[in-house]
Amino acid sequence: MRILIIEDDALVADGMRRGLSQVGFAVDHVPSAELAEAALQQENFDLLLVDLGLPGVDGFELVRRLRRGGKSMPVLIVTARDALADRVGALDLGADDYLVKPFALPELAARCRALIRRSKSNSDSGISIGALHLDIPRRETRVQSRAVDLTRREWAILECLALHAGQVVSKDRLQQAISSWDEGITTNAVEVYISRLRGKLGDEVGIRTVRGLGYRLDESPA
Amino acid sequence: MNRASAQRAHGMTIRRRLLLILIGPLALLLAIGVVLDYAAGIVPLRAAFDQALVNETLAAAAQLRARSGGAVEFDLPPQAIEMLRADKYDTVYYLVLGPHDEYVAGDDGLPTAASGLENPTFLDAQFHGRTIRGVSYRHTTPAGIVTITVAETTNKRDQAWHRMLISILLTDTLQFAAILLLIWVGVRLGLRPLIALRAQIDSRSAQDLAPLDEKHVPGEVRPLTQALNRLFATVSSNAQSQQQFLANAAHQLRTPLAGLQTQLELLRHDTDAVAVRERLIGLLEGTRRLSHTANQLLALARAEPTATAAADFGDVDLRDLAEEAVAKHFDRALRQHIDLGVEATRARARGSAWLLREMLANLVDNALAYTPADGRVTVRCGVTADTAALSYVEVEDDGPGIPPDQRARVTARFYRPPGASGDGCGLGLAIVDEIVRGHHALLDIGSGANDRGTRVRVTFPAA
Repeated sequence: MRILIIEDDALVADGMRRGLSQVGFAVDHVPSAELAEAALQQENFDLLLVDLGLPGVDGFELVRRLRRGGKSMPVLIVTARDALADRVGALDLGADDYLVKPFALPELAARCRALIRRSKSNSDSGISIGALHLDIPRRETRVQSRAVDLTRREWAILECLALHAGQVVSKDRLQQAISSWDEGITTNAVEVYISRLRGKLGDEVGIRTVRGLGYRLDESPA
Repeated sequence: MNRASAQRAHGMTIRRRLLLILIGPLALLLAIGVVLDYAAGIVPLRAAFDQALVNETLAAAAQLRARSGGAVEFDLPPQAIEMLRADKYDTVYYLVLGPHDEYVAGDDGLPTAASGLENPTFLDAQFHGRTIRGVSYRHTTPAGIVTITVAETTNKRDQAWHRMLISILLTDTLQFAAILLLIWVGVRLGLRPLIALRAQIDSRSAQDLAPLDEKHVPGEVRPLTQALNRLFATVSSNAQSQQQFLANAAHQLRTPLAGLQTQLELLRHDTDAVAVRERLIGLLEGTRRLSHTANQLLALARAEPTATAAADFGDVDLRDLAEEAVAKHFDRALRQHIDLGVEATRARARGSAWLLREMLANLVDNALAYTPADGRVTVRCGVTADTAALSYVEVEDDGPGIPPDQRARVTARFYRPPGASGDGCGLGLAIVDEIVRGHHALLDIGSGANDRGTRVRVTFPAA
């Protein structure tokens, strides 16, 4: 997974580069939007980390140009500004997420993984979350190398959780994911399927309950 | 009035304004006074001149002799005629007509007043191209009624009226000028306290926030000076609290920076791998705290009502915010083995979504900070059960709770309760308080269920 960091502060850029390299990403760094555009013409990246306050062409303008130029790779804005207009503006321009400085490295890595996974799940066939692997076209589930046999409803719920791994998915939403087969299904049914999924997937897969809200699939087990 | 002149009128001094307002009516009063004085003076003057004329006519009538034959004879010696005609200023004419209006004596052709109800009768006419005032007296004689007319030119009268007019004009104008002067002086004296007030304000330095001396301020402007003094007091207390805030903020920012700096300097010379690792962990923790403090200080500045644009306000779904706050803090709750959950029913409020998000984040953050492992934190939102049906959000924990005597103090900036962990910077509830006030909502800090823990509830005003 290749990440391009566009950040003019050398200390921050170096920290991000090292931190992300340590968790297995291939990371390149350029200090300006102009150099980023040059780098993007020669090579492909899976994710861009863009600082808003760049010298010359700023982060907003860079994202706008990329999207206009048809580039669709995910963009994570990393900014020290947190005024509301900046947040809305960046997301409206086509950035996928934002992170306000200062941040913790694990948080940055998790956001990067989530963004890359989301972009891959649209085009690619497989999703991996920790020990769990889903082959979406074939509807096959594996934990480590062990194949797990799931019913259609269990699969629908797991797929929904996996596509939003790391995010809380509400019970209502999970209910909608399975209601196409079963009209009049209750949220209690969702609880039943979740407990069956937990039984089948085992302790290596972390499906957490968020009281009153829903569930969250995590990379690390409970 | 167009805008330019309106502005001029607004910027005018009170003195000029008063004079401008008074000068028109006063001039009108002067004109009316002159007319009235003239009218009042002219009537007796005219009567006096007319009476003299009548006297002369009656004296002349006494000289009439009627003959038995019916002829009338005007028997006036030449000296008497001289007397009659003698006048310093005017030419005097006379005419005597017999019972059949036949000429008897005097100036032939002199107009005669038509016989009317009154005898003698006055007339105004032209004779020999001159304006005359005359009187005709119908004298009954044995021969019949004889008409005697005496007339004079009006030089004397014109002159008298002229003089009278001049004296009236002169005295009234003098009076007018005296009144204007009195107003000018009176206003000047009356405004003296105001001018003194202006001087007092002028001579202050821009930084001087001491109250204005109200001892000699007239009642009309006292509300103004009182408002100013209130404003001075507010600004000065704001300035004081800002100073206090800066002092606290300086402490909060510099202390961890000092820690980081000394640790880094030590690290430069440290070679023991275990010691380096320990220092690094400390550095990381210090940096994290510093980040938190910086974020909180910025949040507090943003939460101040003056920093919030009205455009940010809109219809906010409190349930979304509650769920979002729980999702955001879920990892931390997991780490601390705290059961963080939400109990939300539909509730909406008017407010700024990002400020309310910040408020909930701080409330959840606080609850997690003060709740021990295996505790429970719940974010709720809904509508109050009473008739008012007001929207609320609340965060409840089953931690140690806040003693009642401290509940009023926990919203103070940088306040940290006794026995607080070294983690927070004491701004969380201050930010919450600021946001609550910006939304005209009500902050209630109480106990949770069964009198355990803390429950902080924010109730929004009716939409």
